[in-house]
Amino acid sequence: MIWREKRILLIILGVLLAANTMFFFTYRVQYQSRLDDLDTRLEAAEQSLAQARQTRLTTERQIQGYRKVEADIAEVFDQHWSTQPKRFTAMVGEVKRLAIASSLNPQSYSFERAEAEARTSAARRGGKNIGATEVGMSFTVQGTYEQIRRLINLLELSRQFVIIDQISLNAAQDQLLTLNLHLKTIFRDDQQARVATNRL
Amino acid sequence: MKPIHLNLAARPYRDYRPVYAAVVVMSLLTAFLMLNNVDTYYRYIHETRNTRAKIASVEAEAQRERENASKVERSLKSIDLAHLDAQTQFVNAKLNERAFSWSALLDQLETILSDDVRLLSISPSFSDEGLITLGLSFQSKSAEGMIATLNRMNEDPHFRNPFPSTESQTDGQFQFTLTSEYLPQQALTAAEVVR
Repeated sequence: MIWREKRILLIILGVLLAANTMFFFTYRVQYQSRLDDLDTRLEAAEQSLAQARQTRLTTERQIQGYRKVEADIAEVFDQHWSTQPKRFTAMVGEVKRLAIASSLNPQSYSFERAEAEARTSAARRGGKNIGATEVGMSFTVQGTYEQIRRLINLLELSRQFVIIDQISLNAAQDQLLTLNLHLKTIFRDDQQARVATNRL
Repeated sequence: MKPIHLNLAARPYRDYRPVYAAVVVMSLLTAFLMLNNVDTYYRYIHETRNTRAKIASVEAEAQRERENASKVERSLKSIDLAHLDAQTQFVNAKLNERAFSWSALLDQLETILSDDVRLLSISPSFSDEGLITLGLSFQSKSAEGMIATLNRMNEDPHFRNPFPSTESQTDGQFQFTLTSEYLPQQALTAAEVVR
Protein backbone atom coordinates (compact mmCIF):
# COMPACT_ATOMS: atom_id res chain seq x y z
CA MET A 1 0.00 0.00 0.00
CA ILE A 2 2.70 2.47 1.01
CA TRP A 3 4.84 1.51 -2.05
CA ARG A 4 1.89 2.02 -4.34
CA GLU A 5 1.26 5.48 -2.92
CA LYS A 6 4.83 6.55 -3.77
CA ARG A 7 5.07 4.64 -7.03
CA ILE A 8 5.65 7.66 -9.28
CA LEU A 9 8.64 8.81 -7.28
CA LEU A 10 9.94 5.27 -7.11
CA ILE A 11 9.49 4.69 -10.83
CA ILE A 12 11.34 7.93 -11.69
CA LEU A 13 14.16 7.04 -9.36
CA GLY A 14 14.23 3.50 -10.71
CA VAL A 15 14.46 4.69 -14.31
CA LEU A 16 17.23 7.16 -13.45
CA LEU A 17 19.12 4.51 -11.56
CA ALA A 18 18.75 1.98 -14.36
CA ALA A 19 19.88 4.50 -17.00
CA ASN A 20 22.90 5.55 -14.97
CA THR A 21 23.78 1.96 -14.21
CA MET A 22 23.61 1.08 -17.89
CA PHE A 23 25.69 4.08 -18.84
CA PHE A 24 28.16 3.24 -16.11
CA PHE A 25 28.64 -0.30 -17.30
CA THR A 26 28.83 0.59 -20.96
CA TYR A 27 31.01 3.68 -20.69
CA ARG A 28 32.90 3.58 -17.45
CA VAL A 29 33.66 -0.11 -17.26
CA GLN A 30 34.43 -0.37 -21.00
CA TYR A 31 36.25 2.94 -21.15
CA GLN A 32 39.57 1.47 -22.26
CA SER A 33 37.97 -0.71 -24.85
CA ARG A 34 36.19 2.36 -26.23
CA LEU A 35 39.51 4.17 -26.47
CA ASP A 36 40.97 1.11 -28.16
CA ASP A 37 38.01 1.05 -30.55
CA LEU A 38 38.70 4.64 -31.43
CA ASP A 39 42.36 3.84 -32.11
CA THR A 40 41.28 0.91 -34.24
CA ARG A 41 38.91 3.17 -36.17
CA LEU A 42 41.71 5.66 -36.72
CA GLU A 43 44.00 2.89 -37.91
CA ALA A 44 41.31 1.56 -40.26
CA ALA A 45 40.66 5.06 -41.61
CA GLU A 46 44.39 5.56 -42.21
CA GLN A 47 44.62 2.21 -43.97
CA SER A 48 41.64 3.11 -46.11
CA LEU A 49 43.28 6.45 -46.94
CA ALA A 50 46.57 4.78 -47.83
CA GLN A 51 44.73 2.30 -50.04
CA ALA A 52 42.72 5.03 -51.79
CA ARG A 53 45.91 7.06 -52.28
CA GLN A 54 47.75 4.02 -53.63
CA THR A 55 44.92 3.32 -56.07
CA ARG A 56 44.96 6.92 -57.27
CA LEU A 57 48.75 6.97 -57.61
CA THR A 58 48.79 3.66 -59.48
CA THR A 59 46.12 4.87 -61.89
CA GLU A 60 47.91 8.20 -62.31
CA ARG A 61 51.18 6.41 -63.02
CA GLN A 62 49.37 4.24 -65.55
CA ILE A 63 47.98 7.32 -67.24
CA GLN A 64 51.38 9.00 -67.19
CA GLY A 65 52.86 5.88 -68.75
CA TYR A 66 50.23 5.85 -71.48
CA ARG A 67 50.67 9.58 -72.07
CA LYS A 68 54.42 9.06 -72.35
CA VAL A 69 53.88 6.26 -74.86
CA GLU A 70 51.45 8.47 -76.77
CA ALA A 71 54.00 11.30 -76.78
CA ASP A 72 56.78 8.96 -77.92
CA ILE A 73 54.61 7.57 -80.70
CA ALA A 74 53.58 11.07 -81.72
CA GLU A 75 57.26 12.05 -81.82
CA VAL A 76 58.11 9.13 -84.09
CA PHE A 77 55.09 9.88 -86.29
CA ASP A 78 55.76 13.63 -86.44
CA GLN A 79 59.55 13.93 -86.31
CA HIS A 80 60.88 10.76 -87.93
CA TRP A 81 58.12 9.71 -90.29
CA SER A 82 56.34 12.97 -91.02
CA THR A 83 53.89 13.16 -93.92
CA GLN A 84 54.53 12.06 -97.47
CA PRO A 85 54.35 15.59 -98.95
CA LYS A 86 56.92 16.80 -96.44
CA ARG A 87 59.46 13.99 -96.57
CA PHE A 88 59.07 11.83 -99.67
CA THR A 89 61.11 13.95 -102.09
CA ALA A 90 63.79 14.51 -99.46
CA MET A 91 64.05 10.76 -98.93
CA VAL A 92 64.29 9.97 -102.65
CA GLY A 93 66.90 12.71 -103.02
CA GLU A 94 68.87 11.27 -100.12
CA VAL A 95 68.83 7.73 -101.60
CA LYS A 96 70.02 9.07 -104.97
CA ARG A 97 72.73 11.11 -103.28
CA LEU A 98 73.95 8.06 -101.33
CA ALA A 99 74.00 5.95 -104.51
CA ILE A 100 76.17 8.57 -106.19
CA ALA A 101 78.37 8.78 -103.10
CA SER A 102 78.91 5.03 -103.44
CA SER A 103 79.80 5.49 -107.11
CA LEU A 104 76.69 3.61 -108.15
CA ASN A 105 74.22 4.74 -110.74
CA PRO A 106 70.70 3.31 -110.56
CA GLN A 107 69.05 3.35 -113.97
CA SER A 108 65.49 3.13 -112.76
CA TYR A 109 63.43 3.31 -109.63
CA SER A 110 60.02 1.87 -108.83
CA PHE A 111 57.71 2.88 -106.02
CA GLU A 112 54.71 1.37 -104.33
CA ARG A 113 52.48 2.51 -101.53
CA ALA A 114 50.28 0.62 -99.04
CA GLU A 115 48.41 1.47 -95.91
CA ALA A 116 50.38 0.28 -92.90
CA GLU A 117 48.63 -2.51 -91.05
CA ALA A 118 48.60 -3.40 -87.39
CA ARG A 119 50.79 -6.38 -86.63
CA THR A 120 48.45 -8.30 -84.35
CA SER A 121 45.18 -9.79 -85.50
CA ALA A 122 43.49 -8.45 -82.33
CA ALA A 123 44.50 -4.92 -83.28
CA ARG A 124 43.39 -5.49 -86.87
CA ARG A 125 40.00 -6.64 -85.61
CA GLY A 126 39.76 -3.29 -83.80
CA GLY A 127 39.12 -1.75 -87.21
CA LYS A 128 41.21 1.39 -86.74
CA ASN A 129 44.18 1.86 -89.00
CA ILE A 130 47.61 2.66 -87.66
CA GLY A 131 47.59 6.09 -89.24
CA ALA A 132 50.63 5.48 -91.39
CA THR A 133 51.46 4.57 -94.95
CA GLU A 134 54.28 2.29 -96.00
CA VAL A 135 56.09 3.33 -99.16
CA GLY A 136 58.44 0.96 -100.94
CA MET A 137 61.22 1.89 -103.31
CA SER A 138 63.17 -0.53 -105.48
CA PHE A 139 66.16 0.02 -107.69
CA THR A 140 68.96 -1.92 -109.28
CA VAL A 141 72.61 -0.94 -109.41
CA GLN A 142 75.75 -2.52 -110.75
CA GLY A 143 79.01 -2.26 -108.90
CA THR A 144 81.70 -4.01 -106.95
CA TYR A 145 80.98 -5.72 -103.65
CA GLU A 146 82.77 -2.89 -101.83
CA GLN A 147 80.61 -0.24 -103.51
CA ILE A 148 77.46 -2.18 -102.60
CA ARG A 149 78.60 -2.56 -99.00
CA ARG A 150 79.31 1.17 -98.90
CA LEU A 151 75.83 1.99 -100.19
CA ILE A 152 74.24 -0.30 -97.60
CA ASN A 153 76.36 1.27 -94.89
CA LEU A 154 75.43 4.80 -95.95
CA LEU A 155 71.74 3.89 -96.03
CA GLU A 156 72.04 2.51 -92.49
CA LEU A 157 73.68 5.73 -91.31
CA SER A 158 71.25 8.03 -93.12
CA ARG A 159 69.21 10.47 -91.06
CA GLN A 160 66.21 9.59 -93.19
CA PHE A 161 63.98 6.82 -91.83
CA VAL A 162 64.88 4.27 -94.49
CA ILE A 163 64.54 0.54 -93.93
CA ILE A 164 66.44 -1.85 -96.15
CA ASP A 165 63.77 -4.45 -96.73
CA GLN A 166 65.41 -6.91 -99.08
CA ILE A 167 68.54 -7.27 -101.15
CA SER A 168 69.27 -9.54 -104.09
CA LEU A 169 72.67 -10.03 -105.63
CA ASN A 170 73.64 -11.41 -109.00
CA ALA A 171 76.98 -11.80 -110.69
CA ALA A 172 77.26 -9.48 -113.67
CA GLN A 173 80.66 -9.41 -115.33
CA ASP A 174 84.20 -9.60 -114.00
CA GLN A 175 84.07 -8.37 -110.41
CA LEU A 176 80.76 -6.58 -110.87
CA LEU A 177 77.57 -7.53 -109.08
CA THR A 178 74.01 -6.55 -109.77
CA LEU A 179 72.28 -5.43 -106.62
CA ASN A 180 68.54 -5.27 -106.44
CA LEU A 181 67.62 -3.23 -103.41
CA HIS A 182 64.17 -2.85 -101.92
CA LEU A 183 63.85 -0.03 -99.43
CA LYS A 184 60.83 1.06 -97.48
CA THR A 185 59.85 3.94 -95.32
CA ILE A 186 56.84 5.02 -93.30
CA PHE A 187 54.85 8.23 -93.61
CA ARG A 188 52.31 9.53 -91.18
CA ASP A 189 48.87 9.88 -92.74
CA ASP A 190 47.63 13.40 -93.36
CA GLN A 191 44.44 12.44 -91.57
CA GLN A 192 46.57 11.61 -88.53
CA ALA A 193 48.14 15.05 -88.83
CA ARG A 194 44.72 16.65 -88.89
CA VAL A 195 43.72 14.75 -85.74
CA ALA A 196 46.93 15.88 -84.02
CA THR A 197 46.28 19.47 -85.03
CA ASN A 198 42.70 19.26 -83.80
CA ARG A 199 43.92 17.85 -80.50
CA LEU A 200 46.17 20.88 -80.05
CA MET B 1 -15.85 -9.46 25.16
CA LYS B 2 -14.73 -7.44 22.16
CA PRO B 3 -11.54 -5.37 22.72
CA ILE B 4 -11.77 -1.66 22.07
CA HIS B 5 -9.20 -0.09 19.65
CA LEU B 6 -8.58 3.45 20.40
CA ASN B 7 -7.27 5.50 17.41
CA LEU B 8 -7.04 9.13 18.23
CA ALA B 9 -4.99 10.17 15.07
CA ALA B 10 -6.55 12.70 12.74
CA ARG B 11 -5.39 10.72 9.56
CA PRO B 12 -4.90 6.94 9.14
CA TYR B 13 -1.44 5.88 10.44
CA ARG B 14 1.13 4.68 7.75
CA ASP B 15 4.75 3.62 8.34
CA TYR B 16 6.63 5.21 5.35
CA ARG B 17 10.11 4.59 6.68
CA PRO B 18 10.93 1.68 4.31
CA VAL B 19 9.83 3.78 1.34
CA TYR B 20 11.92 6.76 2.42
CA ALA B 21 14.87 4.49 3.05
CA ALA B 22 14.55 3.05 -0.44
CA VAL B 23 14.17 6.53 -1.96
CA VAL B 24 17.25 7.78 -0.13
CA VAL B 25 19.33 4.76 -1.13
CA MET B 26 18.21 4.97 -4.76
CA SER B 27 18.83 8.70 -4.84
CA LEU B 28 22.29 8.35 -3.41
CA LEU B 29 23.14 5.58 -5.81
CA THR B 30 21.74 7.51 -8.76
CA ALA B 31 23.62 10.66 -7.73
CA PHE B 32 26.87 8.75 -7.35
CA LEU B 33 26.48 7.02 -10.69
CA MET B 34 25.39 10.21 -12.41
CA LEU B 35 28.41 12.15 -11.18
CA ASN B 36 30.66 9.33 -12.24
CA ASN B 37 29.00 9.10 -15.62
CA VAL B 38 29.18 12.83 -16.26
CA ASP B 39 32.86 12.76 -15.34
CA THR B 40 33.43 9.78 -17.61
CA TYR B 41 31.57 11.40 -20.49
CA TYR B 42 33.52 14.66 -20.29
CA ARG B 43 36.78 12.86 -19.87
CA TYR B 44 35.98 10.66 -22.89
CA ILE B 45 34.96 13.64 -25.03
CA HIS B 46 38.03 15.63 -23.97
CA GLU B 47 40.57 12.85 -24.26
CA THR B 48 39.34 11.58 -27.63
CA ARG B 49 38.77 14.97 -29.23
CA ASN B 50 42.05 14.87 -31.16
CA THR B 51 41.61 11.28 -32.21
CA ARG B 52 38.03 11.85 -33.41
CA ALA B 53 39.08 14.97 -35.28
CA LYS B 54 41.90 13.02 -36.87
CA ILE B 55 39.54 10.21 -37.84
CA ALA B 56 37.15 12.71 -39.43
CA SER B 57 39.98 14.39 -41.31
CA VAL B 58 41.45 11.09 -42.47
CA GLU B 59 38.04 9.84 -43.60
CA ALA B 60 37.43 13.08 -45.50
CA GLU B 61 40.86 12.81 -47.10
CA ALA B 62 40.17 9.18 -48.07
CA GLN B 63 36.88 10.23 -49.63
CA ARG B 64 38.67 12.93 -51.63
CA GLU B 65 41.29 10.40 -52.75
CA ARG B 66 38.56 7.99 -53.85
CA GLU B 67 36.85 10.76 -55.84
CA ASN B 68 40.16 11.72 -57.47
CA ALA B 69 40.91 8.07 -58.23
CA SER B 70 37.54 7.63 -59.92
CA LYS B 71 38.18 10.80 -61.97
CA VAL B 72 41.58 9.49 -63.03
CA GLU B 73 40.04 6.09 -63.83
CA ARG B 74 37.44 7.79 -66.01
CA SER B 75 40.16 9.54 -67.98
CA LEU B 76 42.07 6.23 -68.19
CA LYS B 77 39.00 4.63 -69.74
CA SER B 78 38.89 7.39 -72.34
CA ILE B 79 42.28 6.26 -73.71
CA ASP B 80 41.94 3.85 -76.64
CA LEU B 81 44.37 1.26 -75.29
CA ALA B 82 43.87 -1.23 -78.12
CA HIS B 83 44.77 1.39 -80.71
CA LEU B 84 47.70 2.63 -78.63
CA ASP B 85 48.94 -0.95 -78.26
CA ALA B 86 48.66 -1.55 -82.00
CA GLN B 87 50.54 1.68 -82.74
CA THR B 88 53.21 0.86 -80.17
CA GLN B 89 53.80 -2.59 -81.62
CA PHE B 90 53.89 -1.16 -85.12
CA VAL B 91 56.34 1.61 -84.20
CA ASN B 92 58.58 -0.78 -82.24
CA ALA B 93 58.63 -3.23 -85.13
CA LYS B 94 59.58 -0.52 -87.60
CA LEU B 95 62.25 0.89 -85.26
CA ASN B 96 63.69 -2.63 -84.90
CA GLU B 97 63.75 -3.00 -88.67
CA ARG B 98 65.44 0.38 -88.98
CA ALA B 99 68.00 -0.52 -86.32
CA PHE B 100 68.80 -3.83 -87.97
CA SER B 101 72.41 -3.78 -89.14
CA TRP B 102 72.77 -5.18 -92.64
CA SER B 103 76.50 -4.51 -92.53
CA ALA B 104 76.89 -6.76 -89.49
CA LEU B 105 74.77 -9.44 -91.13
CA LEU B 106 76.84 -9.33 -94.32
CA ASP B 107 80.00 -9.54 -92.19
CA GLN B 108 78.62 -12.66 -90.51
CA LEU B 109 77.57 -14.21 -93.81
CA GLU B 110 81.03 -13.58 -95.25
CA THR B 111 82.53 -15.72 -92.47
CA ILE B 112 80.26 -18.72 -93.12
CA LEU B 113 80.23 -18.81 -96.92
CA SER B 114 82.69 -21.16 -98.57
CA ASP B 115 84.50 -20.13 -101.74
CA ASP B 116 82.18 -21.94 -104.11
CA VAL B 117 78.95 -20.56 -102.57
CA ARG B 118 77.55 -17.18 -103.48
CA LEU B 119 74.77 -15.24 -101.78
CA LEU B 120 71.86 -14.33 -104.05
CA SER B 121 69.28 -12.71 -101.82
CA ILE B 122 68.49 -11.89 -98.22
CA SER B 123 65.06 -11.17 -96.87
CA PRO B 124 64.71 -10.69 -93.11
CA SER B 125 61.44 -10.77 -91.21
CA PHE B 126 60.90 -9.45 -87.71
CA SER B 127 58.54 -10.98 -85.16
CA ASP B 128 56.85 -9.12 -82.31
CA GLU B 129 59.14 -10.93 -79.86
CA GLY B 130 62.20 -9.45 -81.57
CA LEU B 131 63.10 -12.66 -83.39
CA ILE B 132 64.74 -12.11 -86.76
CA THR B 133 64.23 -14.79 -89.37
CA LEU B 134 66.29 -14.66 -92.54
CA GLY B 135 65.15 -15.98 -95.86
CA LEU B 136 68.37 -16.64 -97.80
CA SER B 137 69.06 -17.91 -101.27
CA PHE B 138 72.45 -19.05 -102.49
CA GLN B 139 74.15 -20.34 -105.58
CA SER B 140 76.81 -23.03 -105.40
CA LYS B 141 79.20 -24.55 -107.89
CA SER B 142 79.16 -27.92 -106.09
CA ALA B 143 76.44 -30.23 -104.85
CA GLU B 144 77.83 -30.00 -101.33
CA GLY B 145 77.28 -26.25 -101.16
CA MET B 146 74.02 -26.43 -99.23
CA ILE B 147 75.32 -29.02 -96.73
CA ALA B 148 78.51 -27.04 -96.17
CA THR B 149 76.55 -23.81 -95.66
CA LEU B 150 74.15 -25.47 -93.20
CA ASN B 151 77.07 -26.96 -91.28
CA ARG B 152 78.84 -23.62 -91.06
CA MET B 153 75.65 -21.88 -89.93
CA ASN B 154 75.14 -24.52 -87.25
CA GLU B 155 78.62 -23.79 -85.92
CA ASP B 156 78.07 -20.02 -85.82
CA PRO B 157 76.14 -18.83 -82.74
CA HIS B 158 74.67 -15.91 -84.73
CA PHE B 159 72.54 -18.34 -86.71
CA ARG B 160 69.98 -20.70 -85.23
CA ASN B 161 67.89 -23.49 -86.66
CA PRO B 162 68.95 -23.12 -90.29
CA PHE B 163 66.62 -25.19 -92.44
CA PRO B 164 66.61 -25.68 -96.22
CA SER B 165 63.53 -24.89 -98.31
CA THR B 166 64.52 -25.78 -101.87
CA GLU B 167 67.51 -26.94 -103.88
CA SER B 168 67.64 -27.06 -107.67
CA GLN B 169 70.27 -27.59 -110.33
CA THR B 170 70.51 -25.48 -113.49
CA ASP B 171 73.38 -25.55 -115.97
CA GLY B 172 75.70 -27.17 -113.45
CA GLN B 173 74.92 -24.54 -110.85
CA PHE B 174 73.10 -25.46 -107.64
CA GLN B 175 70.63 -22.98 -106.23
CA PHE B 176 69.23 -23.43 -102.77
CA THR B 177 67.15 -21.45 -100.35
CA LEU B 178 67.02 -21.74 -96.60
CA THR B 179 65.67 -19.97 -93.56
CA SER B 180 67.50 -19.31 -90.34
CA GLU B 181 66.96 -17.39 -87.16
CA TYR B 182 69.54 -14.64 -86.78
CA LEU B 183 70.93 -13.22 -83.55
CA PRO B 184 72.75 -9.92 -84.01
CA GLN B 185 75.83 -9.37 -81.85
CA GLN B 186 73.90 -7.36 -79.19
CA ALA B 187 71.27 -10.09 -78.84
CA LEU B 188 73.98 -12.70 -78.61
CA THR B 189 75.84 -10.74 -75.92
CA ALA B 190 72.59 -10.20 -73.99
CA ALA B 191 71.77 -13.91 -74.20
CA GLU B 192 75.24 -14.78 -72.89
CA VAL B 193 74.86 -12.33 -70.00
CA VAL B 194 71.50 -13.90 -69.08
CA ARG B 195 73.07 -17.34 -69.20
